[in-house]
Amino acid sequence: MALKSGSLALNERLSPFQKLYLLLIAGFILGPFIPLVIQSLAFRWAWPDLLPGTWWLEQREKSPLPLAWDYVLSPYSQIWEATVNTVFIGSVVTLICLIICLPAARVLAREKFPGKPAFEFFLSMPLIVPEAAIGIALLMIFINIGLAGTYFGIMIVHLIPTIPYMIRMLTAVYQGLGRDFEEQAMILGANRWQILRMVTLPMLLPGVVAGALFTFLVSTNIFLLTFFMGQGKIVTLPTLLFSKISGGTLDASAAGITLVVTVPGIILLLITERFIKEEAFGKGFGN
Amino acid sequence: MKKTLLGLSVIGSLMAGAAFAQDAEAFRDGFIAGDLSWEDVQARAKEEGQVNLYYWGGSDNINIWMDSVAVPALAAEGVTLNPVRITGTKDAVDLVLAEKASGKGLGEGSVDAIWINGENFATLKRQGALMGAFADKLPNSANIEWNPDDPRSLLNLRDFGVETNASEMPWSGQQYVCAVNTARVPADETPATFAEMVTYLEANPGKFSYVKPPHYIGNTFVQAAVYAHNPDGNGAVPFQNSIDELGAAELARLIKPGMEYLKALEPHLLGAASGNVRYPEDPKALDGLFLNGEIDFACKFGLFGVATGLRDGTFPEGAEQFIFPEGNMIKNKNYLVIPGNAPNPAAAMVMANYMASVESQATKLEIAGMPVGIDPWKLSADDSAKLDAASPGLVGVTQAELDANTAPDTNATLVDVIEATWLEYIERDSDASIEDIVATAVANLK
Amino acid sequence: MLYREIEVSKTKELARHRRERIWMWMQLLPVMAVLSILFGGALILGVAQSLGYAPWFGVNTFPDISYFAALWGDIFFWKSLWLTLYYAVAATLISLVMGILLALALVRTFPSKTLYKYLYKLPLMIPYTVGIALAVIMLGNGGMLSRLMAFTGFIDDPSEFPQILKTHMGWGIIAVYVWKQTPFVALTIYAVLLGVGRETEEAAAILGANKRQIFFQVTLPQILPGIISSTLIIFAFNIGAFEAPFILGGGFPDTLPVVAWRYFNDADYTLQLQGMATVVSIALVAGVILYTYLAVYRRYERRIGRH
Repeated sequence: MALKSGSLALNERLSPFQKLYLLLIAGFILGPFIPLVIQSLAFRWAWPDLLPGTWWLEQREKSPLPLAWDYVLSPYSQIWEATVNTVFIGSVVTLICLIICLPAARVLAREKFPGKPAFEFFLSMPLIVPEAAIGIALLMIFINIGLAGTYFGIMIVHLIPTIPYMIRMLTAVYQGLGRDFEEQAMILGANRWQILRMVTLPMLLPGVVAGALFTFLVSTNIFLLTFFMGQGKIVTLPTLLFSKISGGTLDASAAGITLVVTVPGIILLLITERFIKEEAFGKGFGN
Repeated sequence: MKKTLLGLSVIGSLMAGAAFAQDAEAFRDGFIAGDLSWEDVQARAKEEGQVNLYYWGGSDNINIWMDSVAVPALAAEGVTLNPVRITGTKDAVDLVLAEKASGKGLGEGSVDAIWINGENFATLKRQGALMGAFADKLPNSANIEWNPDDPRSLLNLRDFGVETNASEMPWSGQQYVCAVNTARVPADETPATFAEMVTYLEANPGKFSYVKPPHYIGNTFVQAAVYAHNPDGNGAVPFQNSIDELGAAELARLIKPGMEYLKALEPHLLGAASGNVRYPEDPKALDGLFLNGEIDFACKFGLFGVATGLRDGTFPEGAEQFIFPEGNMIKNKNYLVIPGNAPNPAAAMVMANYMASVESQATKLEIAGMPVGIDPWKLSADDSAKLDAASPGLVGVTQAELDANTAPDTNATLVDVIEATWLEYIERDSDASIEDIVATAVANLK
Repeated sequence: MLYREIEVSKTKELARHRRERIWMWMQLLPVMAVLSILFGGALILGVAQSLGYAPWFGVNTFPDISYFAALWGDIFFWKSLWLTLYYAVAATLISLVMGILLALALVRTFPSKTLYKYLYKLPLMIPYTVGIALAVIMLGNGGMLSRLMAFTGFIDDPSEFPQILKTHMGWGIIAVYVWKQTPFVALTIYAVLLGVGRETEEAAAILGANKRQIFFQVTLPQILPGIISSTLIIFAFNIGAFEAPFILGGGFPDTLPVVAWRYFNDADYTLQLQGMATVVSIALVAGVILYTYLAVYRRYERRIGRH
């Protein structure tokens, strides 16, 4: 009797409420993209029309200037420049972050040393201090030493919010790794290089890739720091989009740019979901 | 041996670069004194190679014109135009001043030219950050009226009342024109004065708002209200004086009725019914509200704003211009200034020269809808006709009506005070008297 | 003979140990250096400037607490602080509840679960500004919800639509935060649930516990570390966030980061330094709240005996 009620009580399937909830969440997440797509294809879409009064394609011939997607995909919108800058900065930041965080994460996972808790806290502090504070505080110095408006300046500033994430995820990876495998390989006669290549790296790789992808994600989404340090000279996707919608209205070209900005995110999503399991992400934050 | 040669050549080019920058000063002095010919300027411009123009990048149309017309035209003259889009002119001014403070002089900074007017120009002038009197010595300066005896030269010689001394080149003219959505507002109810606006809003609450200060479009609306409510009845006249000439008390007396009008207007504005008045932060937001019918009138700088708005789909189909406020539709010019630490002064002047040419003004008018900054009466009949043909046209008003209702901007020194007063009195809803607020604002001026 | 051998091997041991320690510190060095210089430098510069040290503006009245005094003495600072905290707390709580519910559903099996696992992570991958654009297009007075209401005849004019964006109630801001952060919370909790496994829950069910008892007495304590860490991160973010309150906020008084931005963009240099004081204040408030939050949690952990 007890067994029967037990198996009923722990139903592996969704309750009707949960089904509804999942649908609502899906609608909440994806639904708003529909009017966004429509707006990007519209010439004039005023209240209270549910569909545009005049579509972009209808008006295309009559207008002397590029409209909607013509404008977005033209060099005038600077979208290609922004995409290249964003990806370039993101990649370099991820690389630097990886290089400096990997050894440190190894130490943090394995060793004890005086002041370790304080050190870990310091490493997480950038998550607490707002971007505005860091950007504003550093701006004048950067202008003075000529770093403002340079790629290098933006990259090193991007390191600040990304290091905490990378360190956490890598530390979790090393903690999961454990010394045993390496020690066993040593006992079996492998030298340092072989251990690194055939034991450590393959086991590290999923976590490292997760950390790298997450860091890349954080860097490509940063707005305020890039805006301050870039001084308008270097345009990235977040700064481009912000300047377009900062008034609080969305015309066709702004909608198109929003959709283009979403594309790297979608690509990233496809990559991470194929190769990385939830646990790898969760490990970084489950502490 | 090779290494030494390499090192020497590097040092050599560095020194040459430094020397080049150093004789930028000599070049500038020579040009302004009239010792150099235009060919000399063009030759040096080709050597410099690049010009960095910092301009407000918020208009797609202007960006398209800049990239598709201006850049190729200047490339044909051997100069690479690098248009830098900024979100606020003040950012460029701050950059120039910051570089000046860290010791960068002519030939060493990053900003070659800024699209500017008003108190931003006044700031540069006050801080001594201008290159000098270049604007009346370029070949295309003939398209502009510099004769101080001709009253039509006023806006070329004075920017918001501050003497330009030819240190900035007029680029565009503008007038503050409001648009009405005729599909929602019958012609006989369209207000022409501020009082009629209140009447309309009492019947149709919440159907209007204006861009808020500190945006310059908001400042201009406030100025227009202040002119219209001038207790002495002489509109803009007293506001042409600087703050030193007027004094805080007099200024407070003059702006008080206008400020009180704006405060009394608040409960009728957009959002007031639900308790939170909404002032759009910039003209794009304003246009969005206008398109969706949240407001029935949209006021901003745009002589051809309705024509281009209809062409681009940002304005509703029934949009037309109308005369409001009567007698106080502020008209001004905006300019291109070359700061005192421009890295490429010759190239900047070549660009300024191009920007004053008839072709650039005509194409700019046609594509971006920006009214011309050169003076049509200085041009040949053909050129003048070219400009007329390029115009997007007026919608709902005639040029004569617009000319009959102009008013000048206030003096640049007054702008910050009026802006601060609006922010304190209306946004922060202060109980202090206008006299006190103005006095504090004047004291805070640098 | 043996004694000396032991001595020698001991010194060798010590030397090796020292070498290892040095190597350890060297490995920590790059990260320390970057963070100390950049982040530490930012903090120091920020505090210094807020206390009047700004020679690039020609101002050097260090130490000068007048900026802080002017800031904290202004009632609008406290109003802005209240708004900042309110948006942050509300968004965090709502994201937490929604995220937990989502995670609980995700551990079950259902058709097209693989697709769903792609889908729910989407907001994580795209910048906040996109979320803001979506909020504008959906929730604005001229937006889709308003047009749907007009279509169904509820309203005739955009002004009749209940104001969601640009009010101090901040529903637009909170909506954007929730849209971005619910997946984050769900992801963290889901990962924890996967790691913990269902055995304890099954045991409780077998012993006769009902659903509510299972959740509150078994599941919740298990996912608590995940809850704490994810809420910590999102709350910290919300306090310092700029884009959403700037675009979707109700105007004056704004949240503190927007206030700092406005000060910093002012022509008047004293106001720029007051902007520094504002950001330092934000950092202080955030630091204190989060430190307390963590401390309370650690005390709780010690009490229930978790390491």
